[in-house]
Amino acid sequence: MYLAIREMKFAKVRYSLIAIIMLLVAFLVLFVTGLARGLAYDNAASIQNMSATHFIMEKESNHRFTRSQLGEGDLAQAGSITGEKNAQPLGVKMTTVTTKGTAHKLDVTLLAVRPEGWLMPSVTEGTAITSQSEGQAVVDDQLKDSGIEIGSEILDQASGMKWIVSGFVSHESFSHSPAVFLNERDWQQLQQSAARQGADGTATDKSYSAIAVKANKEQAEQMASALPDAEVVTKSEAVSAIPGYKEEQGSLLMMIVFLFVISAFVLAVFFYVITIQKSSQFGILKAIGARTAYLVRSVALQVLLLSLGSLVVSVLLVQAIEAVLPNGMPFKLDVATLAGTCGAFVGMSLIGSLLSVWKVTRIDALDAIGRTAA
Amino acid sequence: MRHRLRLENIKRTFEDGGMQRTILDNLNLQVSEGELVAVMGPSGSGKSTFLSIAGALLEPTSGDVLLDGESISGKNKKELTDIRLRQLGFIFQSANLIPYLKVEDQLVLVAKLGGMNKSTAVRRARELLNKLGLTPRLNAYPDKLSGGERQRVAIARALMNDPAVLLADEPTASLDASRGTDVVRMLAGEAKERGKSAVMVTHDERILSLCDRVLYLEDGRLVEKQLALR
Repeated sequence: MYLAIREMKFAKVRYSLIAIIMLLVAFLVLFVTGLARGLAYDNAASIQNMSATHFIMEKESNHRFTRSQLGEGDLAQAGSITGEKNAQPLGVKMTTVTTKGTAHKLDVTLLAVRPEGWLMPSVTEGTAITSQSEGQAVVDDQLKDSGIEIGSEILDQASGMKWIVSGFVSHESFSHSPAVFLNERDWQQLQQSAARQGADGTATDKSYSAIAVKANKEQAEQMASALPDAEVVTKSEAVSAIPGYKEEQGSLLMMIVFLFVISAFVLAVFFYVITIQKSSQFGILKAIGARTAYLVRSVALQVLLLSLGSLVVSVLLVQAIEAVLPNGMPFKLDVATLAGTCGAFVGMSLIGSLLSVWKVTRIDALDAIGRTAA
Repeated sequence: MRHRLRLENIKRTFEDGGMQRTILDNLNLQVSEGELVAVMGPSGSGKSTFLSIAGALLEPTSGDVLLDGESISGKNKKELTDIRLRQLGFIFQSANLIPYLKVEDQLVLVAKLGGMNKSTAVRRARELLNKLGLTPRLNAYPDKLSGGERQRVAIARALMNDPAVLLADEPTASLDASRGTDVVRMLAGEAKERGKSAVMVTHDERILSLCDRVLYLEDGRLVEKQLALR
C-alpha cells in the first residue's frame, strides 16, 4: 500500500499514460459488449422475451423457426406431456408489408400466438387482440417511426391480407425486424391463402412453425421420443439459429476477447519493463528487510488500482455515451453484464501482472551488495 | 564488552567452471559494542561475499554468524528477512534510497515493515534526521539531495529499527574527501553513541583514521594491520 501509492504519485506521467491506455481499452470493451448485447437483444427480442425453456421444431428445419412446420397433432402430444397450458403454438413468418396511404414498404415478422397464452407480450398502448378478434394486430412500437398508428391498416404483400393495428408492444423483434402479433385465426387464414397460392392443399394441417414449451429435462427427452419427426431445441439454440444471430455475435465476441487479451498484454509488458527497470530497487528493499510477499502485493495493488480506476472512468463514459446514442442504435448493458465484464477485465489485468510478480520473486537481495549505482 | 557481531570459522566456496574456489577460509571476526571496523582488500578478495554473509544475505558453506550472541544458521528465508529488518542496518554504495519516497518516508517505510505504528515511526524518523542534520530536507526526494545527504539518510534509515549491527558497503565511494569524512564520522559517532557494532567495507584510505580497527582480507581471512606501520 505504502510503496504502491507513493510510487504512483511520484511517477505520475508514467502511470497516467498507462492508465489512459487501459481506460481506452476498457471503454472499448464495455462499448462493444453493450453493442453486442444490444444487437443480440434487438435481433431476437421476441424469442428471448418468451418464457419458454424449449421449442419444438420440425426435424429438417435446422432449428430455424421460419423453416419449420408442425401440426395440431404435435401440439396435442407436446401438451399431453408438459400439460396443455405449458405448450403454446407459435407461428413465425417474415414478410413485407405496406401501410395504407404510403407506398413505404416495411420488413416485419409475423408472430402468431394464442392471445390468452403466455407467449403474448403485454400491450403498452392501445388494446390487445383476443382469440375472437379478426383482422387485428398488435405491433412493435418501432413501427411508429414509420408512421404507423393505432388504427392504421397494414397490408401483407405476399398474401394480400390486411390487419388493423389495435395496439403497440415494445421491444419485440425477430431477426432485427419489428414483430407483428396475430391471433391463431388470422394466422390460419394467412396459411390457407399461402397454400392456395401455392396450389397445394396439403399444407393446411401443418399450421404452426413451432411449439413453445415450458418443460424440465425429462419432459424434453420424453417429447423428443414421442415426436419422431420433430426436434426439441433449447431456447438458446433456437435464438442462435435466427438468421444472422450467430455471425453477428461471433464477430463481436471475437473483438471483445481480443480486447481482453490486448489489455492483459499491455499491462504485462508495461509492468514487466518497469519491474526490470526497478530490479535493483527491489533488491535493496529485500536486503533491508522487505518481504517478497510485501513487494508482490505492492505490484498487484498498482495493477488493481490502474484497472479499477480506468474501469470506473470508462463505465461513466459508456453511460454518458449511452445517453446520447440515437434510439436506432441498439445498446444494452445491464448490471449483470457490466459487472461480469468489469470482473473479467480486472481478472485479465491481474493475469497480466503475473509476469512481473514472477520477476519480483526472482530478484535476489544479494544484488544490493557491491553495486555502484542502482 | 559485548560483541554484538561475531563471525566464527566462516568458510565459503563457490563452484566455478567445475572448480571449487574458496573465497573465505576460516574467517573470524568479533566486533564489540560501539566499535567501527573497516575491512579493506583488493577487488576479488571476497569483501562483498564477507559482507553478504555478515548481512544474512548469503549462507556460509560452514561456520556461524552470531548476532547479539544468537546464531542465524538454519533459519529460513522469512526469518532471515526479519533478522535483516530488525537486527541489521545496511548502508549501500550509492543511490540506495527508494527514488519515489521522500526522506522522511524512507525511514517510515522501514519502521512500517517492522510493524511500528505510524506516529512513533514519524517521531523517531524526525529525531534521527534532526540528529544527522537533515531536518530541512525532510520532504525532499532523493534526486534533490547531494551525495553526502543521501548517505546520511541511508545511515538514518539503517538506524531506524534500532539494529544490533550496522553494515556499510563502500559508503564513501561516490563522495569527495571532505563529505566522505563527514559521513564516516557520523557513522562512527552513531555506532559509539548507540552501542552498535559497525562494519564498513571500503577502498577509501582517507577515512581509515576514523575507524577503531582496520582489517585486511587476505587469502580468505581477516588480518589486522597497525595503521602506524603503513
